[in-house]
Amino acid sequence: MNDNIADLVDSRTGRQSRSIYASEDIYRQELERIFGRCWLFLVHTSQIPKPGDYFRTFMGEDDVIVIRQKDGSIKAFLNSCTHRGNRICRADRGNARAFTCNYHGWSFSPDGALAGVPLESEAYFGELDRTKFGLIPVTKVAEYKGLVFGCWDANSPSLDDYLGDAKFFLDVWLDAMPGGSALLGETQKMVLGTNWKLPVENVCGDGYHLGWAHAGAMAAVQSMDLTGLSVGNSGVDLDGGLSVAGMNGHMVLSALDGVSGYAFYPDPKPILEYLEANRQTVIDRLGEVRGRQVWGAQVNITIFPNLQLLPGLNWFRVYHPKGPTQIEQWTWAMAENDMPEAVKAQILENQCLTFGLAGLFDNDDGDNLTACTEQSRGWRTAQMDVYTNMALGRSGKREGFPGDIASGLVSEHNQRYFYRRWQEHMMAETWAEVPTYNINSLTDEEAEHA
Amino acid sequence: MLDRPLAPPPVEVIVAVTQALHREARLLDNEDLDGWLAMLGKDVSYRLELKSRRFRADRSPPFPLGPGVIFNEDLGRLKMRVDRLKSGFVWAEDPPNYIRRAVSNVEVLATRADNEVRVHSVLGMHRNRIDGTTRLLTAGRTDLWRSEGSAWLLAAREIVLDHSVLPDSNLNAFF
Repeated sequence: MNDNIADLVDSRTGRQSRSIYASEDIYRQELERIFGRCWLFLVHTSQIPKPGDYFRTFMGEDDVIVIRQKDGSIKAFLNSCTHRGNRICRADRGNARAFTCNYHGWSFSPDGALAGVPLESEAYFGELDRTKFGLIPVTKVAEYKGLVFGCWDANSPSLDDYLGDAKFFLDVWLDAMPGGSALLGETQKMVLGTNWKLPVENVCGDGYHLGWAHAGAMAAVQSMDLTGLSVGNSGVDLDGGLSVAGMNGHMVLSALDGVSGYAFYPDPKPILEYLEANRQTVIDRLGEVRGRQVWGAQVNITIFPNLQLLPGLNWFRVYHPKGPTQIEQWTWAMAENDMPEAVKAQILENQCLTFGLAGLFDNDDGDNLTACTEQSRGWRTAQMDVYTNMALGRSGKREGFPGDIASGLVSEHNQRYFYRRWQEHMMAETWAEVPTYNINSLTDEEAEHA
Repeated sequence: MLDRPLAPPPVEVIVAVTQALHREARLLDNEDLDGWLAMLGKDVSYRLELKSRRFRADRSPPFPLGPGVIFNEDLGRLKMRVDRLKSGFVWAEDPPNYIRRAVSNVEVLATRADNEVRVHSVLGMHRNRIDGTTRLLTAGRTDLWRSEGSAWLLAAREIVLDHSVLPDSNLNAFF
C-alpha cells in the first residue's frame, strides 16, 4: 500500500491522483492513519460550561460524547454501550446525570463508570465486574486555550507539539483579548457528497476560487476590499496577504490589513469600532505584527486534518467523514468574550448569513466539491490526476512570521502542504515515522517582538 | 380577565389566504422572485431558527444569544438574496433546478386585528438538482398575513425545518 501512496501525491509538482477522493481502500486507511492517529477537535470549552454538560461529536466515523466532569475537567468516551454496542446518547447536546442505554438499560455516569445494570444480581448472579465495563475513553484529551482535542494514539506527540507554530496564528483568536473565546449558537449541520479533503483544501489555501465561485455573493454583500480580490476574478493584489504552511500540516491564509475579516459584513462599523478600541491591548499582548496586521484581518486557519476556523468571517468548522464520498459539515459562529453583546449578536447573525446553511457564500461551494468528488469515481477519471500547481517554488521566510510562506491569498502553496502531510501520515506505520517540522520557527523572543 | 375566543375568519378570507399561499408557491417555483417580493409586507420578518435534538427532560439553559438562524430576514435582506440569485453568478442555479413546492395542512386563524390572520401550513419542497440528485425538504410554517387594499401580504413567517442535518448542499430556495 505504501508504494501506492507514494505515487498518489507529488507535492513538488502539486499533483494528486483522483483516486484519493473516491477509493474505499484509501478511505479505510485514512480512518486508521489520519483520524485514528491525529489530534481531532472535539468541543470548545464554552459549549459545555457546567458539570454534566455534554456534547456529542465524531472522531472519524466513531461517535463520541464529550462530558464536563464534576471537577471541571473534560472527558470523552465512545458513544457505545459496552454490553452490546448500542449508541447510549442520541441527543446532540445537553446536561445529564447519567446516560442510559435504550437496549437493556445499562447506565453510565458522566465519568464513564458503569453505574447500573438491570437484574444484576438475579440474571448475572452478581458476577459481572462492572469496573471492566465502563465507557471506552478517548485515549488522550487535551485543551489548548478553550479548544478541546482528542486523540486515539497513545504515541502521538502532545497537543502542544502537534499544533506547533500554528499556535502563533491560533492565538490571534484564542488569546488576543484577555477574556478568551467562545463558540455561539447551535451546530449548523449539512450533508455534502464530497470527499472530506476537498472542503479542507478549499479553505486552507484556495483564495483563487473566491472571486469566481462566490462572485454572486461578493456582489451582494462585500463592503470592503479584501486584498484586491474582485468579483469575477478580474484582479488581485498579491502583496496584501500570505499563504503560510510548513507547520506540521497546519496552514494559514492571512490578509495583513487588520480589518478585512469584516469585508463581507453588510455593516462592519460596530465591529471596526471594537477592533480600534482594543487594538493597543492586542498589540501589547501579541506584538505589532499580529496585533496590527493580523487581528481583524481575514485569517483562514486549518488544523490538520479536519478543523478550520476563520477569524473575521468568524466561522468555525469541522468536517466529519461519512465514507469516501460523503461528509457532515458542522459549523458554528465564533467570538471573543470581550466583545460587547451587540457585536457578538452581529457576528452570529452575519456568520449565518454568509456561511450558514443558507449562507450566501457557503451555498456556492457544495456543488463544486461534490462534483470534484463525482468526477473522481469514473473508470477513466479515477485513473487521472488533478493539480494544485499555482506559484510552485515561490515561497520562503517572511520577517515576523513562522512558516514557509508564499505571497498572496491566491496561491496553491498551502494545498500542496496539505497533501504532503496527508501523504506523510498515510505512508507512516506509526507516529514515530511521521516527520515533525515547523519551518522558519520564531524564537520566543522574536515572536514576542514581532 | 380571560379573552373571549375569537370567531373563525370568514370563509372568503380563508379562501383568499389559502389562494395566496398557493400563488406564492407557484411564483417561487417559477422563479418569479420579483412577483414573490411583491407579496411581502414592507415590515416582513422571515425567520428560520437553528435547533438541536435534546432529551425531553434536558434542563440545560438556552444559549444567551439564541440558537442562531438559517434565515433571519427583513425585506432588504430578502431583496439582497434575490439580487444574488439574479446576479448571473450563482452557478449552482444555472441550468435551473427543478423545484416544486406543495402547500398543505392550511389553518387560517383570526387574530385581534381585523385585517390580520395567523396561518399554519406545511411546505414540502421537492428539489431535483444535477442529474438524479433529488431531495425532499419539509417544513412547518406559522405566518401572519395582512390585508392591504385588495391583496393579502405576508407580514411574518416562522419556519421550522424538519431536518437536523440539512440533506442538500445549498438552500438557494425560499420556504
